[in-house]
Amino acid sequence: MNSLVRKDFPILSRIIEGKPLCYLDNASTSQKPRKVVDVISRFYLETNANVHRGVYHLSQEATDAFESVRGKVRRFLGAPSEREVIFTKGTTDAINLVATSFGEMAILEGDVIAVTRMEHHANFVPWQQLAKRKKARFEIIELTNDWRLDPKEVDRVLGLKPKILAVTLMSNVTGVTNPVASLAARFKMAGATILVDAAQGIGHSEVKIDHLGPIDFLAFSAHKMCGPTGVGVLWGREGLLEKMPPYQLGGNMISHVGDFESEWNELPHKFEAGTPDIASVIGLGAAIDYIETHGRTRIEEYEQSITDYVLSKLILIPGVRILGPTDPHHRAPIFSVAIEGVHAHDLATYLDMEGISVRAGHHCAHPLMFRLGLPATCRASFSFYNTFDEADVLVKALSLAPDFFARRKR
Amino acid sequence: MNYRDVFGEILADHHESPRNWGSLPGCTRVEQGYNPLCGDKVAISLLVEKDTVGNERLSRCTFEGEGCSICMASASIMSEMIQGKSLVDVRSLIEGFREKMQGADSVTALPTEDSGEDITALYGVKRFPVRIKCALLPWTTLKKGLEAVHAE
Repeated sequence: MNSLVRKDFPILSRIIEGKPLCYLDNASTSQKPRKVVDVISRFYLETNANVHRGVYHLSQEATDAFESVRGKVRRFLGAPSEREVIFTKGTTDAINLVATSFGEMAILEGDVIAVTRMEHHANFVPWQQLAKRKKARFEIIELTNDWRLDPKEVDRVLGLKPKILAVTLMSNVTGVTNPVASLAARFKMAGATILVDAAQGIGHSEVKIDHLGPIDFLAFSAHKMCGPTGVGVLWGREGLLEKMPPYQLGGNMISHVGDFESEWNELPHKFEAGTPDIASVIGLGAAIDYIETHGRTRIEEYEQSITDYVLSKLILIPGVRILGPTDPHHRAPIFSVAIEGVHAHDLATYLDMEGISVRAGHHCAHPLMFRLGLPATCRASFSFYNTFDEADVLVKALSLAPDFFARRKR
Repeated sequence: MNYRDVFGEILADHHESPRNWGSLPGCTRVEQGYNPLCGDKVAISLLVEKDTVGNERLSRCTFEGEGCSICMASASIMSEMIQGKSLVDVRSLIEGFREKMQGADSVTALPTEDSGEDITALYGVKRFPVRIKCALLPWTTLKKGLEAVHAE
């Protein structure tokens, strides 16, 4: 499928330091197809006006374009109502909204808040700090040696009857996909409210609310699914969102402001204070169109074949350790690797010299890195526009890496 | 091609055989440096003493750490250069290195042969702008350490 789509991404034909760009940092951010960029620039050039305010024609046009994306997101997620679709600055903003608004309302001293060892800081720190503020118990579901959630740990934490479970759909470090639907069913029975961090999952797999069990909140960012940076979505159950107090206060989120009292606008506007990133929301709509044109099932199938291929090659390279499951099932084409005696930054600079863009560092997952016992790893993450040839470039570079870094024999 | 072809024999050698490695019992100050983005860590032990004419000197300096080759080689090269120097001289070396690495100077070619001054090998890191902070970490840590010695 990649030969069809690569021409949509002008950046993919760049030459970096004399080598064709091999962009394997999709877990950080995906590239943007020309269609998305065109829609954003056309909005600014032809339709720009503030939304939800003007009585003039252009403002209505901008508002219609903006609000039509809400409907698109609702259909994309299979959500029951547009009132449940809240535009945010991104996943981090969406999770902070829930941890602050819902958390402050629902959590009492002694309650249990549960997360997993594989959470990104965005789905870890807001809950850790909420627990601290409320004197609640913060529980971390630990992993097996195969980097997946440990069933014994799930049982242990379930037994504590947590009020909140915050869990990622897909790890941005190991590529593990979590069985969110069955987790949600069990934690819901135990009385938990469940938030799913779909930041990584949204770019790799079909995300439908109905398939994820009785979850309550879901957060994702546009920029990891071919959309622009600066915008994301919080989906939440209408009944909960109705009860929750506003997160930020200001314009658009009010229905009436008196000298000493104010009343809040209805959903979803109650949670959208201030002028939103209108063009980026419209860009998110274009990204959804783009992904649906190619079909999420086809994208998943292609990425699965890349996952199978890369894993089959990586496990054969002596000295390369894969920090993630070597079983290709229920995992994404995100590969964190380490080479004994070679620091991740040295490895990333070496790969960069080969034209390969990867991330080196802690991937905003200190708690997981602590468990790995490593300060940093190198991560190569693929998208549907990456080719098998690029996989070969990575595999070849990694197989030559131990020689490149070989120490002088003494 | 290997690491030595790109970064030179000097950096490779300092990385593989770091000089002045270890802790320093009885030292004046241990300063910790950490780069949270990449996880590079360095701990620099400083023994500051007054010489016969009353000038402060860095009589001894050692380091330990865990980090990339550039950070560790930079710490090793630095430790050799500052050993026994007056604090005035050490401060001007720190400032000179910082200016060299962050200044607008064009990128220096990497010396592959020993030029007698190992620090010149670090200037080549400017070819990899994101790695400049790796080379600087030991020096900024040293600077903080000396400031702390004076504050005490």
